[in-house]
Formats: sequence, structure tokens, C-alpha cells
Amino acid sequence: MDKNTKLIQKTALPDALAALLPDYRVFAPAGENERLAFTRIDAQNAFALCLSGTPLMPPKELLFPRSETLYGTDIKTGDVSLPQTAGPTAVFGVRPCDAHGIANLDCAFLEKGYVDSAYAARREALTLIVLACAQIPYETCFCDSMGGGPAGSEGADVLLTETEDGSALVAAFLTGKGRAVKALWAAAGLLSDTGADATTKSANPAKAPPPCNLRISKDKGLAAKIAAAFDDPMWARFSEACLGCGTCSFVCPTCYCFDLDSENRGGTAEEFRCWDCCMFSDYSRMAGGHNPRPTKKERLRNRYLHKLAYFDERYGRTLCVGCGRCIGKCPAGLDIAAVIEWGGTL
Amino acid sequence: MTLTHGCGCAGNPLIPKSCTILKITEETPDVKTFRLRAADGTKPFAPMPGQLAMISLAGVGEAMFSVTAQGDDWIESSIKRVGELTEALHDAGEGDRLGVRGPYGNHFPASSLKGKNLLFVGGGIGIAPVRSLILYALERRADYGDIDVLYGSRSYADLVFKEDLFENWPGALGTHITVDAGESCWQGHVGFVPAYLEEMAFSPENRACILCGPPIMIKFCLAALEKMGFSKENIITTLEMRMKCGIGKCGRCNIGSKYVCLDGPVFTMAELDELPDEK
Repeated sequence: MDKNTKLIQKTALPDALAALLPDYRVFAPAGENERLAFTRIDAQNAFALCLSGTPLMPPKELLFPRSETLYGTDIKTGDVSLPQTAGPTAVFGVRPCDAHGIANLDCAFLEKGYVDSAYAARREALTLIVLACAQIPYETCFCDSMGGGPAGSEGADVLLTETEDGSALVAAFLTGKGRAVKALWAAAGLLSDTGADATTKSANPAKAPPPCNLRISKDKGLAAKIAAAFDDPMWARFSEACLGCGTCSFVCPTCYCFDLDSENRGGTAEEFRCWDCCMFSDYSRMAGGHNPRPTKKERLRNRYLHKLAYFDERYGRTLCVGCGRCIGKCPAGLDIAAVIEWGGTL
Repeated sequence: MTLTHGCGCAGNPLIPKSCTILKITEETPDVKTFRLRAADGTKPFAPMPGQLAMISLAGVGEAMFSVTAQGDDWIESSIKRVGELTEALHDAGEGDRLGVRGPYGNHFPASSLKGKNLLFVGGGIGIAPVRSLILYALERRADYGDIDVLYGSRSYADLVFKEDLFENWPGALGTHITVDAGESCWQGHVGFVPAYLEEMAFSPENRACILCGPPIMIKFCLAALEKMGFSKENIITTLEMRMKCGIGKCGRCNIGSKYVCLDGPVFTMAELDELPDEK
């Protein structure tokens, strides 16, 4: 029997979160419907855990906050002060698409030259406890068309998959970080053997994941084909309805573009980093006024080509994991899945 | 491969080194050259010609500039007043503190240019980045063949580095200066840079052209150079894009899959032809 695959009862999950509290800052999906979000768990609210949906905001912000102070500069002396770093963090109930997204962020922040040290420190301290989708959360989910799947394990330290009868989760402890979680859960008496290899027919096999609602065909040569379509008139068509609101970037588990700026607070200048969006008109505008991407056509083309071609050229991965959030939340109905399908037909 | 660089506090490449303004030179009504030394008395870093520095003013912001010259314990950037940060920099005085991080980006191919004749073509503030290579080549004069500088600006007052153009360089290299419109104080050539370039008819034989200026000047110079027989491999330029991080992460300076801050700013025209037309 695989000693790193165990069974945990769903009724024991509040205890499982509580067992992590002495060693980690713990985050898990809590709240109802639209308010569902990765929430800091403490001994009081561990019972608010909600496993039936997917939070609108991916857990990306635990690694790459919406806004963070990188350093402070004393305006008189020029002395630099650094913010404190957070300690070990465990996030429970991450969906496979979001963990796949974090594997993409790792490329951007940790590879090809410089290491982004603020991201690297948080990444090192982060344990991902991934929950396979027993039901597909959104109408617009298409992760199984994008190299992942509802039970995908990429990026996961622990992968939890529902059993056939839905009463328990099969827990696969996949990495050193995952096995540290296993030790805590085992010590709390929360794990039992799966019995999966018993001579009798398996009592608690993990349920096979359901297929996604949105099925698209992603062409193997998509990156090269769509990059070659730089001058295609379709970019103007795709961008016609775009409002430039940035919602697509905000909800995306893989968007990582950021802005750096400085704010004067008393005698200290706070140098901060915050999320940015390539659809904003001032994103690439230079101080002299020149903008290499002056209209939403050029900006949208750059957005999709970055996700589907340029990132692939640089890191060998597509920068879309098929979570479907941007399709569901776009007020103007823009649809990256349609662009991916179109790219394949070129 | 992990890159390291001269700056960085607590190992963070986004945190600048505190530097002092040693000297400010007023080049033109809207260009000043800032000589910078680290607050601890050392050189902020030792860039190769064409590399970039991120210069910041606490509470105002930061932006990327080329390093135009360097000495034992200083680097210099020439900065045109165009926006909020550059306005604040122009208001700064000698002895003031600012932040510097870098060096960023690739550099002019100084070694593979050895033995070649060098033709520098600049317009306006576009002379600033190529000056780093002119000075580098002058320090190693025997390594390079003929050196010519063809430079123009709107008016005599707008010519940057007048001391180099009219005192230090004549004799050591060929200087060909032009202004867009004639004026009584100017006895030299009048006309746009591309037209002057065509008029000069440099032979492309064993010659590389290093080109920097406003996009419209680049476009017409490129046509002139091709007409003169220069291959695109022998035409080198340095690009400007909006940059925030300098380390290939923040996203905005990409042209296709290349980041100007990391893979550039120096490209041959042959390399630029491979990238999407979004400059």
C-alpha cells in the first residue's frame, strides 16, 4: 500500500485545518456564494469551510498580493527599511486549475534570469492542499482542454479527491511539504488507510473526475499559428466590445503583470507593487506620450498573444489554465476559449 | 541561470542603492546630465556600453535611463525633461540623494565590433545611449577602424554633449553635425539627419551603423542605410519602452516574447525584423 495515500473523513476537515494552525497561517474557502473566498482560518471559524464552490478570486494573492510594500525609504537619510515576511502558510481547498496557475507564476517570477525575491520567499513558505473537483464549479470551466484537469496534480503538495460515496477524501501526499501536512494529520489521528489494494474490491476508491462543461479543441501548434496571425483583422473584431475594465486580469490565476510606484507617507516613501492590467490605456504609455499599443485592438492582441504564444515561446507553457473565470465575469462577453479555438483553425 | 547585479538590498533586485548626485551638467534647455556615486563612496555598478539604470526619487517614482558615461567611482545618465519624474529630477541639486539599481539589459556588441569602422547616427537625446559606446571605443581606439558620428537636433541649443561634439571628439573621430533649421548662430550643416546621412554616402564596407533617435528618424535612416548597401545585421539600434521592473517580470516592455529590459535594449535590425511590429 502506498504509504503516502491515506483517507480522511469529510467530517474531520475542521479538525484537519485546526491541526495545521500551530505550524501555519491557514487559508481555506469560506463564505457563501458570491462571498466565497480564501479566508484566514483560526480556531473559531474552521467550521465555516465551504467545499462546494470555487472562490471568484484565485489564491494567487497569497503569493502575489494585490498590493504590497517592497520597501520604505527614509526621505531625509535615504535609509531603506524592509517589511516583515510572513511565515509558513498552508492553503486548503485550492482547485487544480489554480495550482496549475501557480506553476505558471513560478516560471514568470523564478525563472529566466532574475529571481523575484519577495515572491520566492512566499512561495518557499507556501503549501498547496489541492481539492479535485467532484462537481465542475462553473459553466465556463475548460481546464481539461488546457493540459490540466478536474483532478490535476500539478503544483499540488497534497491532492484530495472525493471517494465514490462522497463521505471522505483520498489524500495523496505528493511532496516533502505535503508529507509535513501528513505528519500533522496523522498525529491528530485523522488519517486511515484507503484499503485500495485490499484483496476485496476497493472499499473507498477515488471517484473519477467529471468532464468540464466547456470542451474546446486546443491545437498543438496554437502558439506558432496565432503568433503568425499578428496582422489578422480578427483582433479588431475580438476587441470591439472590450471596456478595458481589467476584470479578466483581476480574476485570472495566471496574470502577473504589475506596476511599481512610490507613495509619500510622512517622512517615508513607500515603494509598492500592485497588480496591473495590460488592457489599461496607460500600461505601456511612455512619459513622452508615445504608446506602442495605442488602442484596445493592440492591447487585446498583446494580452492573448502573451497568454497563448509569447509565454509559450519563453517558458514552454500556455498562460491560460482554463479556469473560465474571465469568460464568466467579463461584462462584455469576451471569450478566451473562442480565441483559442479560432487560433487552432488558422 | 540566476542573474546577479551590482545593486539590490537584502538580495531583492527591485530595491535600489542609495546614491548621491555628484555633479549636474546642463546640456540643453531640457537635458541635464547627472553624475551619480553610491552613498558609500563606491561606483553604483560597472555597466557595459548600452546597458540601463533604473533611477528613482523616493516618493516620486522611478524610470529607466541609459548610462551614457562612467568613471572610477561614478556613472552618468543624461535625462530629458518629459514627465513627472524627470521634472522632479531636473529640480534636484548636487548632493541630493536618489536611488539607482542595475545594470539592466544587454549591451552593444563591443567585442564583435572590433576591427570594424563604426558609424554612429543619433538624433536629439538619442545620442545619449550610443555615447557610451563612442567613449568605450575611444578608450580602446586601436581596436576599432574609422569612427564617425553623425548627429542632429532641432537647433544648436538642443545639441546634447556640445563639449564632446566640438572640443573632445574632433581629431579623434569624424564629427558630422546638423540642425533641422538654419539660424544665425550656426555655421554648420542644416537639414534632417536621414538626408545628411544619404548625402555623406558612407561605404558599407566593413562598417557597422549604431543608430538611435526618434522613431521617424530611425525609419528614414534605415531606408537610407539600406540604399547605401548596409545589411540589417550591421545596423544596430537601442530601443525605448516603458519599463517598471527591469528584470523581465512586470510585463509591459515586451515586443513579442522578448523583453526590452532583459533581452534588449540593443537589437540589430535583422533581429527586430523577427519581432512583431509594435515598437
